[in-house]
Amino acid sequence: MPPNSPSFDELWKSYRSLASVYDEAFASLGTLRPHWADLRDGLNGYTLDEFTRRTAQAERFLNDNGVTFDVFREKETQQRLWQLDLIPMILPAAEWSQVEAGLDQRGRLLEAIIDDIHGRQRVLKEGLLPPGVVFGHPRFSRPFVGLHDRKTSSMIVYAAELARGPSGQWFVMADRADAPVGAGFALENRIVTSRTVPQLMHHQPVQRLASFFQRLQNALKELALKRSDNPRIVLLSPGPHSRYYFEDVYLAGYLGYTLAQGADLAVRDERVFLKTLAGLLPVDVILSRGTDRGIDPLELGGNSLHGVPGLLQALRQGTVSLANMPGCGLVEAPVFMAFLPALCRGLLGEELQLASIATWWCGDDAARSYVVEHLDQLVIKPAFEASGSEEIVGERLSSAEREQLLIRIAEKPHAFVAQEKITRSAVPVFGADGKLHSGHAAVRTFLVSDGPGYRLMPGGLTRIAMTPDPMELSISAGFGSKDLWVLSDGPVDQVTLLQAIDKPVALRRSGALFPSRVADDLFWLGWAMERVDFLARLIRAVAERLTADPETASAELPTLVRSLVEQGQLEPGFAVEEFSSQLPHLDKALPHAVLDVSESNGLGFAVAEMLRIGSLVRDRLSPDTWLTIHQTCSDFQKTRSSDRTDASSLLAQINVLIADLASVSGLIQDGMIRGPAWRFLDLGRRIERGRDTASLLRTVLSADEIQNRAVLRSLLEVLDCRMTYRSRYLDNVQPNAVLDLFITDETNPRSLAFQAIAIADHVDALPQDSSSPLRTEEKRLAMAALHAVRMVTPQQLEATGLIDIQQVLSDVDRHFKALTDLLQLRYLLHSGTPRQITGEGDVFA
Amino acid sequence: MKYRITHETTYHGDQPVSVCHNEAWLKPRDTPFQCLEDHQLEAHPSPTSLNHRRDYFGNHVWAFSFNRGYDKMTVTSVSEVTLCERTVPPVEQTPAWDQLAQTLRTPTTPADLAASEFTFDSSRSIGLKPLTEYARKSFPPGRPLLAAATELTERIFRDFTYDPRATTVTTPVDEVFRLKKGVCQDFAHLQIAALRSLGLAARYVSGYLRTRPAPGKPRLVGADASHAWLSVYLGGGEWLDLDPTNNVVPNLEHITVAWGRDYSDVCPLKGVFIGGGRHSLSVSVDVALIDPQP
Repeated sequence: MPPNSPSFDELWKSYRSLASVYDEAFASLGTLRPHWADLRDGLNGYTLDEFTRRTAQAERFLNDNGVTFDVFREKETQQRLWQLDLIPMILPAAEWSQVEAGLDQRGRLLEAIIDDIHGRQRVLKEGLLPPGVVFGHPRFSRPFVGLHDRKTSSMIVYAAELARGPSGQWFVMADRADAPVGAGFALENRIVTSRTVPQLMHHQPVQRLASFFQRLQNALKELALKRSDNPRIVLLSPGPHSRYYFEDVYLAGYLGYTLAQGADLAVRDERVFLKTLAGLLPVDVILSRGTDRGIDPLELGGNSLHGVPGLLQALRQGTVSLANMPGCGLVEAPVFMAFLPALCRGLLGEELQLASIATWWCGDDAARSYVVEHLDQLVIKPAFEASGSEEIVGERLSSAEREQLLIRIAEKPHAFVAQEKITRSAVPVFGADGKLHSGHAAVRTFLVSDGPGYRLMPGGLTRIAMTPDPMELSISAGFGSKDLWVLSDGPVDQVTLLQAIDKPVALRRSGALFPSRVADDLFWLGWAMERVDFLARLIRAVAERLTADPETASAELPTLVRSLVEQGQLEPGFAVEEFSSQLPHLDKALPHAVLDVSESNGLGFAVAEMLRIGSLVRDRLSPDTWLTIHQTCSDFQKTRSSDRTDASSLLAQINVLIADLASVSGLIQDGMIRGPAWRFLDLGRRIERGRDTASLLRTVLSADEIQNRAVLRSLLEVLDCRMTYRSRYLDNVQPNAVLDLFITDETNPRSLAFQAIAIADHVDALPQDSSSPLRTEEKRLAMAALHAVRMVTPQQLEATGLIDIQQVLSDVDRHFKALTDLLQLRYLLHSGTPRQITGEGDVFA
Repeated sequence: MKYRITHETTYHGDQPVSVCHNEAWLKPRDTPFQCLEDHQLEAHPSPTSLNHRRDYFGNHVWAFSFNRGYDKMTVTSVSEVTLCERTVPPVEQTPAWDQLAQTLRTPTTPADLAASEFTFDSSRSIGLKPLTEYARKSFPPGRPLLAAATELTERIFRDFTYDPRATTVTTPVDEVFRLKKGVCQDFAHLQIAALRSLGLAARYVSGYLRTRPAPGKPRLVGADASHAWLSVYLGGGEWLDLDPTNNVVPNLEHITVAWGRDYSDVCPLKGVFIGGGRHSLSVSVDVALIDPQP
């Protein structure tokens, strides 16, 4: 221990919070609350240097685990890393059980409101809610009515956003019932905190979080019990572009559920299935992590990636359960807070125990007058959107803004609520400067349905703001966070869902279920990588010749340009016009065409596709592979911006691209498990490589340039076989030897024969219906391609005109094309994107 | 009056559709003045599942799916409906519009409460300031609702041009108001939005209209179309239909299929499909009078 590093003890002396707020740690200046005493002693065991070092270590943990928001933002720098302060927030058992009782009641109340609005609408008939709160609520989706009259709970998970006011009283700031997020972050905070500063926790009885997740597992299992003893439960994620995708992946792994997206599920005969390579598997329960707004594109419209067409009908038939039931999102609107006390008396016959932040609905005349008069003390929000979308702090408005707001309220009074502004309680925060600061705490709590009521996670997510201003209520708002420790009165329950670390596991060779969508994406990722590689090599050959000394005539250039035209990378005019007159023009046109992302046969498009598809299957690739794909593509795309690009600057760019791509291939070849993921990726690559090679050779043959030595040399260059050729034949370039290398040589990784062997091997390994004793059509196609190249004779390679070879090339291409279509149909197509039939064709009088 | 309505919808794709889920609001509902005598829904190929239910507004909904793929799908709905004369209350007996609007804000009877649902904006029918100002000219304080509402219907008929090329099914109301052109669906949405912006309850009615051939010409089979109009709440559980496209109070020539807040609640046929490539849709409607007896 360095003797000059001060102990943590020193820090407490300079800690101060605002006099007007409740301090979580100190009852008054210098008087620590008793339940913080053990923590202080624990912290005092660290020197400042040591604690700073551990803070950095925690950051590394989070970084390594990929705990971020917006992981798929275009730029890595836009991702927001989760920030964790190692000093937890602490609450004593007695206080927490009061919070739990209040939130249990609130959960039951909200569920009763949800069920009633989507059922008998007693709240309206008895005047507990004005009609505008329900009928004028944009989230009140009529197709959800009637789904809630079941015996099982509509709202399995519920989260409440809490704040403690200056008097020490807890208030609910927001309710989250439409797939609440954050429980996974709370768990991650706990894991990292207990790993980094384990001594702190040893001092006191901190309740474990696992019991909450175990209850969640039980609640979901119970939803399916009527149908299945061993239910299949999937976690439905909105996908990689969702802000909380990290948490989706994390929770699916922790809870042991298959991670699915909308496209992975299908409704057949009013039952929900998971689309896997092995076929359709029935699903009993869906834990939805996305909003209910687009959950069924058939009945709700839209093209939500999260949605499953036909899902609502399956729910009506009771063949599947959804947690939470569609319609729960309704109660997130702050307008309900204005009516909860009366609703609680009316629906539960109880007094509301845990108060909401004081709320006025402007749809009520008296409330509106109050709001207009007290605007400076209030926060104004849209009444029907989940809190957090827009928050207007009255006292911060200029007089013009204030006028504008009053006009907006007057036009649509029912669309606004106002809420009291409170200053949240203070907690000590360990700052980057090594000092203790006072931050303000927002506590997100999580509940799960348990029998007739709700159980609270003994812990939660504490978010910290360094100013006393109103805090954004979304957990991705970018504040620091803390673990929340709830102390236990008795011994701590040792439940855990994580595998015991000292127990061997059953050995396996395959991972979780493999959805067809992932296979589809990997197939096209393979396609895109190969397409990029092939086009880049061909373009490089052209660009090199364009930038060479104009005196050195390059006889092969017209054929190479023609190939680019055949590939769809250049306008057909370049192939037919008088060639020499095109050259100056080509110097400008080539870079332009190459970088054009809208041309679906061009390099720019293929690079964009590689990046896009790569991002979709990121969790199936190693982190290094994804990072390399990301860098390769985005580096190349940066050149798009400058339009003064000529062939020579393009050449430099292409060289970088080819080298970068080689490292992507290397990482995949070297590190990827030879399972179905790799097979589909490789199938996409092999088929595309075979078709590109065949197409290039056909262009040369049909241009009657196969005897042209310069053209042959350029072929060896484009297909990266110069070294091999030279080692065999020195500088004696003969058509038959070149064609052998590209078509029949089974040892050349770029030959057609090599692709056909690899493809046949992959196709053999695909899961298939074993009912027929004969070979499947895809096997026959793969074999036909292989057979075609293996039957080629030396004489055919030498014949004038090479008619037979042309036929072989065209056959192989045809087989590969047919195989692609068949694979799509058999394994991949049912994962296509659903589209809406629109009423565009309707005729109206 | 008895009608037979044949409504045929065909979808083509240039590639096969692998899976398709559909919902159809094609079966006419019963009303105090309309009785559904017979109804058949046929789909080709035959659907792998077919279900009937009532929606939130009490309309009939057919839900059907195809799992085994198709190149072309045809859905034919044949309905036989008998209409009887509707009674229109005398203008002076309808309540003052502003008084009714006040009642609808704080409804006390079950009928008023149910009607109040149709006073709020819906996704396709959103009230905007210029439209409210336009409507207000027909709604001076205290004017009987029926007088004001039928005058607004007439003004829309007069001020707007029927033009099927001007709008699509997705054209928003403010655009229609700016263009002063559209079709029945647009005019219905427009008047609904106008009435709601004054605090009144109005709902969208989807159905068919008997069309008469030009003098001396035979009736063309299949040349008819879906029609749309609106219904305004008169208080006391009574609703009255208004057709701004034709400036009439619908009676014996308007066949009701379904009603909702706007088109999106009662779209005749909607669906989600996978595959199909580029697809096209064609619709033919035939409204035949099979018995003129009242």
